[in-house]
This record gives sequence, C-alpha cells and structure tokens, in this order.
Amino acid sequence: MILLYLDPVTGSLLIQGIIAAVSGILLFFKQIKQIVKNFYNRFFAKKQEGDE
Amino acid sequence: MKRIDSSFRDPDGFMFESRGEMFRAVNPSYKPAYDHLLTSGLYQKLVDREMIIPFEEINQTDLGLSGFYKVLKPERIRFISYPYEWAFNMLKGAALLTLEIQLLALEHGMSLKDASAFNVQFQNGKPVFIDTLSFELYPTDRPWIAYRQFCQHFLAPLALMAYVDPGLNRMFIIHIDGIPLDLTTKMLPLRSRLRLGLYLHIFLHAKSQQKHKDSTIRFESMNKRFPMGSMIALLSGLKTTVANLHWNPGGTEWADYTGEGVHTQEYIEFKTKIILQLLDEVKPQTVWDLGANTGNFSRLAAQKGSHVISFDIDPACVKKNYIQVRKDRETNILPLLQDLLNTSPSLGWDGTERLSIFKRDKPDLIMALAIIHHLAISANIPLESIASQFAGLGNHLIIEFVPKEDEKVKHLLLNREDIFPDYHQSGFELAFSKYYTIEKIISSNCNLRVFYLMTKK
Repeated sequence: MILLYLDPVTGSLLIQGIIAAVSGILLFFKQIKQIVKNFYNRFFAKKQEGDE
Repeated sequence: MKRIDSSFRDPDGFMFESRGEMFRAVNPSYKPAYDHLLTSGLYQKLVDREMIIPFEEINQTDLGLSGFYKVLKPERIRFISYPYEWAFNMLKGAALLTLEIQLLALEHGMSLKDASAFNVQFQNGKPVFIDTLSFELYPTDRPWIAYRQFCQHFLAPLALMAYVDPGLNRMFIIHIDGIPLDLTTKMLPLRSRLRLGLYLHIFLHAKSQQKHKDSTIRFESMNKRFPMGSMIALLSGLKTTVANLHWNPGGTEWADYTGEGVHTQEYIEFKTKIILQLLDEVKPQTVWDLGANTGNFSRLAAQKGSHVISFDIDPACVKKNYIQVRKDRETNILPLLQDLLNTSPSLGWDGTERLSIFKRDKPDLIMALAIIHHLAISANIPLESIASQFAGLGNHLIIEFVPKEDEKVKHLLLNREDIFPDYHQSGFELAFSKYYTIEKIISSNCNLRVFYLMTKK
C-alpha cells in the first residue's frame, strides 16, 4: 500500500479510468485533425508563397 | 523557529520563520523524492521556466537545527493571496500552471501528490508554484491522487464563475478544501452538462464519488491499471476543459469596460499629477490601493517602484487589471478581489490556517481614492471608524474626499434620507485628525473633490 497524506476518494480514483478513456479517444481524433490541418496548411502556405 | 500555521498537513516537511525569514524544513521521509526532483532536472526546468519558486539549501546548523534532511530558503513571496481573492483569469492561470507542472513532472518520473490552489501564488505578475514538497515519485499505474483536489480547487470554482457568477470563488471561504463536486452540480445550469469536459470531470465524477462513498475495498486490490497514456489523456482533457472556460462581464464591450464611470479628461489629468506629486513625498515601498478599479492609479505607484496591491470589489475590474499586468509584464502590481466591507477573514484550523487580509502585511501607504463616500454613505460607516481602520493598516494615507455636492454622492443620496450631518470637508478633517496628522490638502480645480496626504499620529 502506498501511504497518502491526501484522501484521494475512491470514487475519484475509479472514475479516472473511464474519463481517461473518453479523453484519450478525443485526443486521438484531435491529433488526427491537427495532422490533417497542418498538412493542408503547409500545402496552402507554399502555394501562397508561390503566388507572391 | 516559529512554525507557519498553514503548514501542518504534509508529513514530509513544513514552513517556519526564523530571524524574520521564511524557511522550509524537509523531513528525512522526503529524501528519495527530493533527490529525484533535483537529479532528474525537473526542479531546474521548473525554475528556468519560472513555474516554481526557487530556493537555496541552507546549512541547518546555522539556524541551530538538526535532524532534518534539508532546510531550504525559498525566495520570499511578496504578498500571500488566496484563491477566493483572485479574478477568474488568475484562478484559470493557476489551474493551467498546475496541469503544466504535472505534465512536466510525469516526463521526469514524478507526479504531484496534491493540487491545491493554495500551492500557487502570484509573484512578479504571474502565477508560480510554491510547494517544493508536492512532488512524489510517480507511482506507476496509479490514477492521479490529486485529481479530486484539482477538480474541487480549480475546475469547480472556474465552472461556477463562468456559468453562474464571477464572485463564486468566494465559496472557498466556506469550503476551504475546494468546492465539493456534488454541491457544484446542484449550482451549475443544465447547459453546462453539454460541455463534455464539465460533464466528465464534474458531473460524472460527482456521481462516482457518491456511488463509491461507502466503499471498503482498497484500490490496490481492485487490480485496475492506469498507465501513463491514460494519465496524459486525463490531464490533456482537464487542460482543454479549463482552457475552454471563459468569463466576460455580461454584455459589455470588454475593451471599453473601465468601471470608472464618466470623468472629464481634465480631472483625470489633475488627479494623476497630484497623486504622482504625493507619491514623491512618501516614496513608499509598499502600497495598498483600496478600491483600485482597473488599477490606473496603482500603476502610478508601481511605475515609481512601489509594490502595489490593487484591491477592488468588482471581479470585472480585477480581471481587467490582471490582463494588463500580463500584457505589459508588470512585475509589481497584484490585483486582488476584496470587499472592504467584508474583508477576507482568518480561516481554517485554529482560525490561523489562512490569514485575514489585515494580518498578512502592513503597507507603507494606503491609497483611498474616491472611495470614502461608498464607505461613509452607502455603508453608513462613521468617518472616525474609517480613519481608525486605515490608521491601523499603514503609516501614510493618500485619500480623496468626495463631498455631498458631487454628482456621485448626490446619486447615492437620491432616494434616501440624508443622515450624515458630519459628512463635509471639516467633519472629515476632524474625524481623520484624531488618528492622522494632515500633511497636505489639495483641492481639485475642476470639481469639488479634495486630496489629502496624511501621516499616522
């Protein structure tokens, strides 16, 4: 057993698994969105540079 | 050695005062974590990024002590403030700082064992973490011990401020360990549930606490894993949730918000000139600007090198003041929420864990500009009582007297009986002369207001 000086509250410990799973899925999609966005931005930015 | 009253929960060490300076004693029990904090480079990284208050190790025998693993001398915090005195954006800044520190700690094999808002202070115009002993060796596969505390200390008050009322961080005064989540769910409007982050970290979290409140099973025996990836996901989710909370004063054009009301440019220029002149007479190290609004006159003192606490009752003014502090990287103004009619009391265990505003410092100078009528007329406080309180606070006073003929006072008396026969310039001077020597009297040349410089008798 790890000795804690703060009561973490059982309910607060248990729920973290579920919340982390949901947050993880969101994070995954957000990262994909960001990658796609970055890709397009780079493509777009280059085009703009070419225009100038 | 005098142990600091707020420092008693953590078995790994405590703060104490010796020879007028503050120190932190580290008990032998904290040795493994302390050594790792330093050798892993985490401490240095936090100091380099100005996220944690730096300290130096002191030879404990110099202080006549022995038996501690280390004695540290942290950089002194210029003024201790509490989360119930911060504006929305200050509490939000403190929350994001705590999460950033936790993420950085994880990279170095450590984790925060608590996430108290009282572990953050404002120094040099930004939030900084002050508790060196909050770092523990990262217990692999274990959920975040401080998750409940983070939600109670940061997320719940921020959500309440954003969705219900910007002054609700004052609920910390009743709930010193943060606002309980079940209470928060009762106060938040239905639409806040539609925000996934709030739904998860507050509503679902509260439900889980309720469901397991009588649980007798030890977490270790449940055979649940919580890998690093989950921890990162949890923290990223919290970060997004906090970052997406906003509060702006209802309907107002934010950039135009001054809270000042309308004054002529001529009067503001005159007032500025007078304040600068009076500040030069006192040359204060520390100033408390009472009723500072967005801090325009606090800045005059700050620009002359004083450290200024800029108090106001209006969360919008304090928020705007702090925005300017951040924008201009001002290091010597601290905007704080304070209701002068009901100031922060002493709180917590033994009534000494959190100190009343008056017990924390005594400034060299009090500035009380255009506030006397609010105290004397709106709140019926006798002039002599105001003088006595100000005199108990600091040696010097710059005060602006606003007479009954002034539009602002006329407005206050519009629908009430004038029960203030002594509220006039000579009555004011008589009341204040009991506690102060009046050094200077300067009448405004564009209205009926009068400025005074006084020194305590």
